[in-house]
Amino acid sequence: MLPGLAVLAFSLVIPLGFSVYFSLTDSAGFGDYQSVGLDNYREIFTDDPVFWRSLRNVVLLIVVTIFVQNPIAFVLAAVLSRLSARASRLLRTAYFVPAVLSLVIVAKLWVDVFNPRFGVLDKLLRAVGLDAIAVSWLSDPRTAIAAVIWIIVWQGFGWALLFYYAALMTVPRELEDAAWVDGATGLALYRHVIIPYLAPVIAAVIVNDVITSMKQMELVYLTTAGGPGQLTQFLANYLYQKAFVAGEYGYGNALSVVFVAVSLVLTAVAVRGARVVAP
Amino acid sequence: MLIPVLASAESRITIKMGDNLPDRSNTWGAIVEQINREFKAAHPGTEIATESYLDQPYQQKIKIYATARQLPDVFKFWSVTSLFKPLVDGGFLAPLDRAEFDRLGYLPGALDTNTYNGKLYGIPVSTDFWVIYYNKQLFKDAGIDHLPATLDELYALIPRFKAKGIIPMATDGKDAWPLAITFDLLAWRLSGQSGLPRQAIERKIKFTDPVFAQAARELQHLATSGLFQDDLMVSDYGAARNLFGQGKAAMYLMGSWELGLGADQAFSAEVRAGVDAFKFPTVKGGKGSIDDLMAWYGGNYVVSATSKNLALGKQYLAFYARRFPELAWDKQATLPAQTVKPRPGDTPVAKSILRVIGEARATSGTPSVDLSTPRFKDDYENAIRELCSGLITPEAFVGKLDAAADKAAKK
Amino acid sequence: MTQRAWQTRRIGTRVLHAVLVVFAATQLFPLAWVFVYSLQRSGDLFAGDLLRVPSDPQWNNYARAWVDGHVVRYGLNSLIVVVAATAASTALSFCMGYAIARMRWRLKRAAIAMIVVGMVVPIHATLLPNFLWYSRLGLIDTRLGLILPYVAFTLSFNTLIYAGHLRNLPVALEEAARLDGASWPRILWTIVAPLATPATVTVAVITFLTSWNEFIMANTYIASDELRTLPFSVIRFQGEYSGDYAAQFACMVIVAVPALVLYLWSSKHVMAGATAGAIKE
Repeated sequence: MLPGLAVLAFSLVIPLGFSVYFSLTDSAGFGDYQSVGLDNYREIFTDDPVFWRSLRNVVLLIVVTIFVQNPIAFVLAAVLSRLSARASRLLRTAYFVPAVLSLVIVAKLWVDVFNPRFGVLDKLLRAVGLDAIAVSWLSDPRTAIAAVIWIIVWQGFGWALLFYYAALMTVPRELEDAAWVDGATGLALYRHVIIPYLAPVIAAVIVNDVITSMKQMELVYLTTAGGPGQLTQFLANYLYQKAFVAGEYGYGNALSVVFVAVSLVLTAVAVRGARVVAP
Repeated sequence: MLIPVLASAESRITIKMGDNLPDRSNTWGAIVEQINREFKAAHPGTEIATESYLDQPYQQKIKIYATARQLPDVFKFWSVTSLFKPLVDGGFLAPLDRAEFDRLGYLPGALDTNTYNGKLYGIPVSTDFWVIYYNKQLFKDAGIDHLPATLDELYALIPRFKAKGIIPMATDGKDAWPLAITFDLLAWRLSGQSGLPRQAIERKIKFTDPVFAQAARELQHLATSGLFQDDLMVSDYGAARNLFGQGKAAMYLMGSWELGLGADQAFSAEVRAGVDAFKFPTVKGGKGSIDDLMAWYGGNYVVSATSKNLALGKQYLAFYARRFPELAWDKQATLPAQTVKPRPGDTPVAKSILRVIGEARATSGTPSVDLSTPRFKDDYENAIRELCSGLITPEAFVGKLDAAADKAAKK
Repeated sequence: MTQRAWQTRRIGTRVLHAVLVVFAATQLFPLAWVFVYSLQRSGDLFAGDLLRVPSDPQWNNYARAWVDGHVVRYGLNSLIVVVAATAASTALSFCMGYAIARMRWRLKRAAIAMIVVGMVVPIHATLLPNFLWYSRLGLIDTRLGLILPYVAFTLSFNTLIYAGHLRNLPVALEEAARLDGASWPRILWTIVAPLATPATVTVAVITFLTSWNEFIMANTYIASDELRTLPFSVIRFQGEYSGDYAAQFACMVIVAVPALVLYLWSSKHVMAGATAGAIKE
């Protein structure tokens, strides 16, 4: 127990302490620095539109995950649970493959798929005569954030499906049979019996969605780096860029501290929300 | 008998180096490798371990190393204020003996850009200026027989290349600094006055003055007119360079350090043979001349102040300064910061590059994006990305620049 | 099962099945695309056709990817770091999971809170401070400097999985052993560990995959080429060899294969274990 906690402290608690300390300075990461009090925090909240944009993108991702990815995953999982064991296993494996790929590969792969010259997506659109919407998906301001969120959702889809599938398999047969006898069929069966039964799982998945959405960074770093403009900026990537590109190490640490606070608050909200769904 | 053995064992030294030349088999990178080989031969027992990345990741790495106090012994860096001054101020760089380098034929002002408080901290390696490379064969295929001298003439070429499925011009939009250099140049072409951006950074004039707004309008038009590759804003340096090198783009907006394109074995012989360069066009109604040249000393070599091999590192720099100009010109890899002799056998693009600098009426010095703090550079680059993506108006852009300059001036 | 199959055999069923297949294709098509292009010539990429299986597969793309991507060196580095991190994380989380599931001790609530916070806090928030902290301790650019954070950031999830699993195991065997005078380590090793094997497989595989694919910490904490991990093979094709698209695609295939194989081999256990743990939360 102790060594485990020590590792956690070493790589988690102590660094957060460092972060708080440097967030109160104008450090560039090297050289002399001075204390600037709460100036960095003041700037984040009052004079940094990119911070708010990043936060908005994170919230957008959470919303898309919960309201688009999850329902689809649930429906597919429900259909899968009624297939033969072999077909179901084959399909589940297919769905989950992206989730085991390195983010570097996922990023590179989608940068290439979205490429306006040789990307498969635009080739496909042109082949069916939709030249007008064959754009440069990751750099066009109208599509960039959607493209980035698509990549993230694509990779995370396997997990969502897996959780729901496993949960559906735990629904006791008796429960279903009883509902069946009562005349509940098809959708009604799901609405009145299965979904209420699985509410705790759904709640847990939603909490998990919030946590993973907060943790998105690599896919942004490796695809758009936050561009065009700062349209696809996410908090984690933004603080990295501030510290190591702009040389604003102190400010980056202030962003880090705010980031941790936001993560904890959003997770707490999700947990509270989950309790409403599944008391 | 024992002593020589011990001596040789002790003298096995590894110098750690860093640079932004990941391709070691071609042009510039190959020259550095050759210099390294010669240096090792002249200093038996010395090993050289080099780490290379593309510009942006490399700059990030150097900042990270500085933070960790693990800078390489000798590394390539940039003379420009925004990058160089923080390292000088932080005491990371070893001062060099200026007298030793004064004798080596550096162009006027070259060493001065690396001098702070009367001390020389780095040796400049190349003379950098802004040109447009073009692919003669692609011009011919599109039936274009004269080079554009004004922006309007340049815009007129767009449909002709597009009809052939060729990208008219490629550049690196993701990293934003090429756009920033072009912004400086447009302000100069329009006003006929050099150094306006510098004056704005020093807060003698404002970025919200009409000339900058007009330059911003021109730049936004340039970036959104269809002249560049569709994914300009996510294309990094390597991607842009490849478009030109693989014959997918007819022109390439970049600095003179790319004159090695004409000798880069990674590209096909046809492309290499067809590479040439011309001057950035003038703007209609502008007061500037086509011979006003964005030119500065960009790359330099420095020695880490905390290096365990300080003396050897300094020797390497002196060796490099003596060998590089000759080799660089011999391989037609880049235009050094030292004088070179034109030869009849120079590649067409090398001849053009020499002609462009030879005909320059005035030169700019360091581009404004790099004249101030790292924070200013970052703010500036983000603003210009937004401008060139069409996300903000030229007026909003100059407003952002002015705010960034204000912030930088207060520090 | 037949009753269920009969139930769902309605008009909508076929539509649903079609949707299933379309989604599976969406998940797999980009990969197929990468594989096909990995066998073409770089220039073929710009041709108009969508997906043309080359008549003369360019297997030498793989040879170039193997060499230019430094696959051997980076792969070995990955293996060393990942195996060490997986072993340490599994062992530590097993003990912690046991302590939480079975023992009563002071500060247990505080420790659990810390573990949960460890799950919530994004690694990215610790990149900057950890970088400075590790550099003072001389851990930057060392293997240990990667192993430690890999352990730290997989520990919380793993501990919760173990705790969930161990809580469901019968206590009787352990109590009998304790009455016989067996020591704690002995009980853990000879009685609890074998029973926890399903959880161990899950934890080990997930930790392995997470660390194997990790990029941003390796990018930040590792400097020298000798220590870089496998994802950097793909990154190499962004600079130096960025014109060699075909080899780049081949390299992506090479890097993806070990993770895919491990996953396919273990998917049954991992799915069962991971979801069991998650659902117990």
